[in-house]
Amino acid sequence: MPTLTIDNKSITVPDGTNVLEAAQRLGIVIPHFCYHEALGAVGACRLCAMMFEEGPVKGLQMACMVTAQDGMQISTLHPEAQELRSHVIEWMMLNHPHDCPVCDEGGECQLQDMTIAGGHGRRRYAGKKRTWINQDLGPFVVQEMNRCIQCYRCVRTYQDYCGGDDFGVMGSRNRLFFGRFQPGKLESPFSGNLVDVCPTGVFTDKTFRFKTRYWDIEEAPAVCPHCSLGCTVIPGARYRELQRVRAGVNRQTNGFFICDRSRFGYGYANHRERIRQPNCQGAATSWREALEHLKERLGKVVNEYGPLSVAIVGSPRSSLECQALLREWTREHGYRPPLFEIDNRRDRTARILAAGLGKQARSMAEIADSDCLVMLGSDPLNEAPLLALAIRQAVRNGCHVTCLDPRAVKLPCAASHLPVQPEQLLPAINGLVANRFEEFERQDQLFLEGAAERLGRAERPVLVGGGDLLGPEGTEALLKAARSLNAGLFVTLGGPNSYGGALLSEDGPDSEEMIEAALEGEIKALFCIEADPLTEGPARSARALGQLELLVVCDHMVNRTARSADIFLPTTAPPEAAGTYINNEGRMLPFGGAYAPGLPLRDIGEGGHPPRTFSNITTGGEPRPAWAILATLLQRPLDFDSIHHGLESDPHFAGLGLLSPGGEGRRVTDAGMLPPAAQPEFPHSAPEGSLPLLVVEALFGTEPLSSLSPALEPVIPEAAVQLHPTTAARLGISDGETVSLRTELEHLRLTARTEAEMVPGLLVAYRLRGTPLELLPVGKITPCLLEKGGNDA
Amino acid sequence: MMPDWIITAILVAIKLGFVLALLLTGAAYLVLAERKLLGRMQLRYGPNRVGPFGLMQPLADAVKLLMKEDFIPAQGDKVLFFIAPGIAAVTALITFAVIPFGPPLRLFGREMPLVVCDLNIGLLYFLGLSSLAVYGIALGGWASNSKYALLGSIRALAQLISYELSMGLSIVPVVLMARSFSLTEIVNAQTHIPFALLNPPAFLVFLISVLAESKRTPFDIPEAENEIVAGFHTEYSGMRFGMFFVGEYINVIILSSMVTVLFLGGWHGPLLPGIVWFFGKVMLIAFLFIWTRGTLPRFRYDQLMHFGWKVLVPIALLNVVVTGAILLLLQG
Amino acid sequence: MNLIRGIKGTAQAYWITLRTMFRKPVTIQYPEQKRQPFPRYRARIVLTRDPDGGERCVACYLCSAACPVDCISMQAAEAKDGRRYAEWFRINFTRCIFCGLCTEACPTRAIQMTSDYEICNRDPLDLVYEKTDLLIDDTGKDPDYNFYRHAGIGVVNPRGGNEDEKPPADVRDLLP
Ligand code: SF4
Ligand code: SF4
Ligand code: SF4
Ligand code: FES
Repeated sequence: MPTLTIDNKSITVPDGTNVLEAAQRLGIVIPHFCYHEALGAVGACRLCAMMFEEGPVKGLQMACMVTAQDGMQISTLHPEAQELRSHVIEWMMLNHPHDCPVCDEGGECQLQDMTIAGGHGRRRYAGKKRTWINQDLGPFVVQEMNRCIQCYRCVRTYQDYCGGDDFGVMGSRNRLFFGRFQPGKLESPFSGNLVDVCPTGVFTDKTFRFKTRYWDIEEAPAVCPHCSLGCTVIPGARYRELQRVRAGVNRQTNGFFICDRSRFGYGYANHRERIRQPNCQGAATSWREALEHLKERLGKVVNEYGPLSVAIVGSPRSSLECQALLREWTREHGYRPPLFEIDNRRDRTARILAAGLGKQARSMAEIADSDCLVMLGSDPLNEAPLLALAIRQAVRNGCHVTCLDPRAVKLPCAASHLPVQPEQLLPAINGLVANRFEEFERQDQLFLEGAAERLGRAERPVLVGGGDLLGPEGTEALLKAARSLNAGLFVTLGGPNSYGGALLSEDGPDSEEMIEAALEGEIKALFCIEADPLTEGPARSARALGQLELLVVCDHMVNRTARSADIFLPTTAPPEAAGTYINNEGRMLPFGGAYAPGLPLRDIGEGGHPPRTFSNITTGGEPRPAWAILATLLQRPLDFDSIHHGLESDPHFAGLGLLSPGGEGRRVTDAGMLPPAAQPEFPHSAPEGSLPLLVVEALFGTEPLSSLSPALEPVIPEAAVQLHPTTAARLGISDGETVSLRTELEHLRLTARTEAEMVPGLLVAYRLRGTPLELLPVGKITPCLLEKGGNDA
Repeated sequence: MMPDWIITAILVAIKLGFVLALLLTGAAYLVLAERKLLGRMQLRYGPNRVGPFGLMQPLADAVKLLMKEDFIPAQGDKVLFFIAPGIAAVTALITFAVIPFGPPLRLFGREMPLVVCDLNIGLLYFLGLSSLAVYGIALGGWASNSKYALLGSIRALAQLISYELSMGLSIVPVVLMARSFSLTEIVNAQTHIPFALLNPPAFLVFLISVLAESKRTPFDIPEAENEIVAGFHTEYSGMRFGMFFVGEYINVIILSSMVTVLFLGGWHGPLLPGIVWFFGKVMLIAFLFIWTRGTLPRFRYDQLMHFGWKVLVPIALLNVVVTGAILLLLQG
Repeated sequence: MNLIRGIKGTAQAYWITLRTMFRKPVTIQYPEQKRQPFPRYRARIVLTRDPDGGERCVACYLCSAACPVDCISMQAAEAKDGRRYAEWFRINFTRCIFCGLCTEACPTRAIQMTSDYEICNRDPLDLVYEKTDLLIDDTGKDPDYNFYRHAGIGVVNPRGGNEDEKPPADVRDLLP
């Protein structure tokens, strides 16, 4: 713990801290470009020069390159240091083009700030400027190479941090070029981070091109709604249009980066088909009328059939506040207890995890710090992309990663992958505890024993599970395993607030029970809050919903259930209202609303021109936060304080009211919660000659919100079925061929893709939205028949 | 021949009508005169577009005020808000009742005093009404439910009460010298030499106090526009504002008349008829008011209080004592 | 002494106002008499064109950021040739205080002020000027300046073709 003095202020810092970081801790601003907390120091920009006056190192040095040592005396304001820094800026500006007015970075550009801080205003050098030909880097990132200042942040992010290998630095001396070998789409799913890290305008967001300046954009720290990890993001809007999302900083979850799904998947909020007016039976009405109508219809159902004929389905997309009010609503009126996830498997998984996680919970920061990771049924790049980055950081620190999964799991780092059948996951977990793997083949046994042995030796082991594949039984087994191995546990869940819903539903009924009750005619009115049972629920949902007398849907997107609703109430999209999510490790993460809902200006008049008449009504400003609709129905005050107060009487949520958006959040307090009662699984009878089909999430195209985003269209994968080459050979199918796939209910035509790294005998398909595949239950085996051709569809 | 009382009634009605019309048009044209004079003092023309030389400007202003939206603050006290401007205007108007503006006239063979009502305690009546006028302002500011209005009315209250003291004290020597509270008597006591010359300190103190009573520069802190928007009448618009405004100018006329009556010998003067002398003197004082507005900057609040309590009141007190002593000596 | 000085000072003030009263007013009787403003007078705003006839404004939002009363709004867009331009551009002259900060902020000399000060109107909406009302066919002040001839992005000239630029560098060149 060395103690050093910077500008006459002393500070003691941990070993290995560099002087620049020490200065930052003292609140002294050191100008810098290349240093980045997540990327470390490389000494490329030469801007952090300081004068080392006394101590082991002396003279003018780069602060980021010197490790803090005892007795150092450093001056940041030494005239020589200041002079050097101002020259460095001037040198950088020798080649910098004169194009700030047309650069999207303008206003939030570090180079602008530093140039002004360094006092450089007029180019004294009369020589010509270096120029470049730019590359087309695909649909997300624009390059303008002339603006580069060679800080190497982009390569360090793309290659070192995110593990991408199609982007790098080329050339020599002052011809350094940061780009791809050939123009083309950036392949890393984290390519958007180039926009954030580049301190100048070399890489800018293509979807945000020329839209808005930093000072005009309405932003608020928020939580990414596209998976269960709860990354901090900062959505920004202008003229009622959500225009971009950038990464927020949360050292416990995402660190400094986010994935491209989060960054470019924001289009759902501006979706043209979004219904922005309450409507009854398809006819638009006012809020007052819609709510009156709702109360009247609901009252009729309750009068006729009793309060238990009303059922409520919440969603893991809803904020905790909305979920809490839902529960209170049912309690107050004696309705059926609410469900917070219509997908039974995901629901039970989340509840079992929430009931048992306790001390085994690990954050992504702790994963990055782990020395042994065993992944079971988890495909991070597809299910929870930022988890892949955390794993990569662990590997960079020397961690060993073992992956057991039927899919060909691709990671941005080295990992030993053993393809296993989905039903083999459970024995594998149990085997890891007992170190017995009799059910496996000899070769696999060796692999698994190795993993078990590494797990036993590790100091900070973490078991990483994919909730979708593990299911309730697998999760329960993994929980037990983590406890007996004294390892951490990290299981990805279905939605951004699955954990919150699980905490609130405890051991209440699940969707099976509800659908059964509906089929038996016990349920007459169904309330869906941001839930879509017709798509996500079991196949019988359609029949069950057909028997209802009243179907009310509150949502911000149009989906199957919303289309058949009797009463539809528009809600705000996540960036439009504040709330709280609880991520998959049980971390309560509040978020703020960045802007008020309304029809984007772009969609109102001709050519996006704003109207020439005055009006104090926001066109399309009707959507209300789901919790506010419930509070109105419950006649509660429209503020969070009372909801938080109510929640905090439950010890789980202690401290919720003290959190603020953009912070690190706080893990829920672990206090005995009952897991749902075990449910017997009836084995499906598989027809003769059928193959098991596993439907899973993909990075792009399967998540309900981001798949509505036009910006992601170019990267949505084709509708394909993956199979092992040996399976393909057995069926006589070759790669790229069109095949026909029949399940009990659906008949699809897909492209066949062979995948050598997956387990033989299994079919894997992505649950692409907008195709019949979205109706298949995720993570579960669906028996199906696969044939060549499929021209007979 | 008509019975006596009818003639009296008609005469009183004529007098009333004359005085009322005079006061209102007087106030209206005083506004115009002020705007023109101030304009000239600032190298401008002042209003010169409506009618010849802008003479119809008061009419245009009245029409404008009448047509304006009558705005009432949502949280204000409606009743008080309605009443306040009325109090301000009416108290100003009825003060003129006791002011003798000319020597008694002979008409239809009878003596008609040129005063609406020759009260023998006219001076007290004047003092009483000027204290009452404070209510208009205080209530208006209070009822507006606006911080500016409230601040303005608090300032007005403090200021009016403070300066009323010095005003009252500066009148005492006049009463001593005239040995009467009746304004007509006081005027008659100055047939030969106005009190302004006999007792200049009282005159000066009274003049300054009167300026303060009228809430005009340099004593306009209750409506100091660059601090508190428009003070007590910030929330008023249209004719309600107009009533405050007219009230202020009637007040100027009344206070000028009081100065004339108490210190400048009222209608007394050589050659010209009494009524001309009277209004000439009133106009002179009114010009002084305007001139002062064009010249002096506003006092700060503490300066205002300091000046009132530590300068004017002691001087006035001393003056009472000295005048009393001198009168005693003269008598004795 | 102080008292005398005070009295003298007050009296002088009265004397000055009185004297001024008899001087000729300086007022210009506007509709009848008009005044020729100076060339740098700050009145109605226009958007100018570069010497090559292109729109100068690159919709950089700097003027709208500089405007103290927030009366400029616009939306930037990209033309096919990579030029950044204003899709729409609006100045609300009912709010404008003619301070000229927008013209000072403009990096392309696009927004300029003219000496046409007679822009009163009965309908406030008629004072909300759109791009078509603002854009003129002239370079205004600074007739030779074309931003894109200096900016490092290839719009008027191909990349690296501006006067102060070297031709594009070759990444694969290994020469020292
Ligand atoms: S492209 Fe940006 S991040 Fe990369 S080296 Fe250049 S300035 Fe740095
Ligand atoms: S002149 Fe001033 S107020 Fe008017 S548009 Fe320009 S910056 Fe805004
Ligand atoms: S500052 Fe100039 S170039 Fe930028 S938007 Fe305004 S007018 Fe256009
Ligand atoms: S931050 Fe130290 S050299 Fe760049």
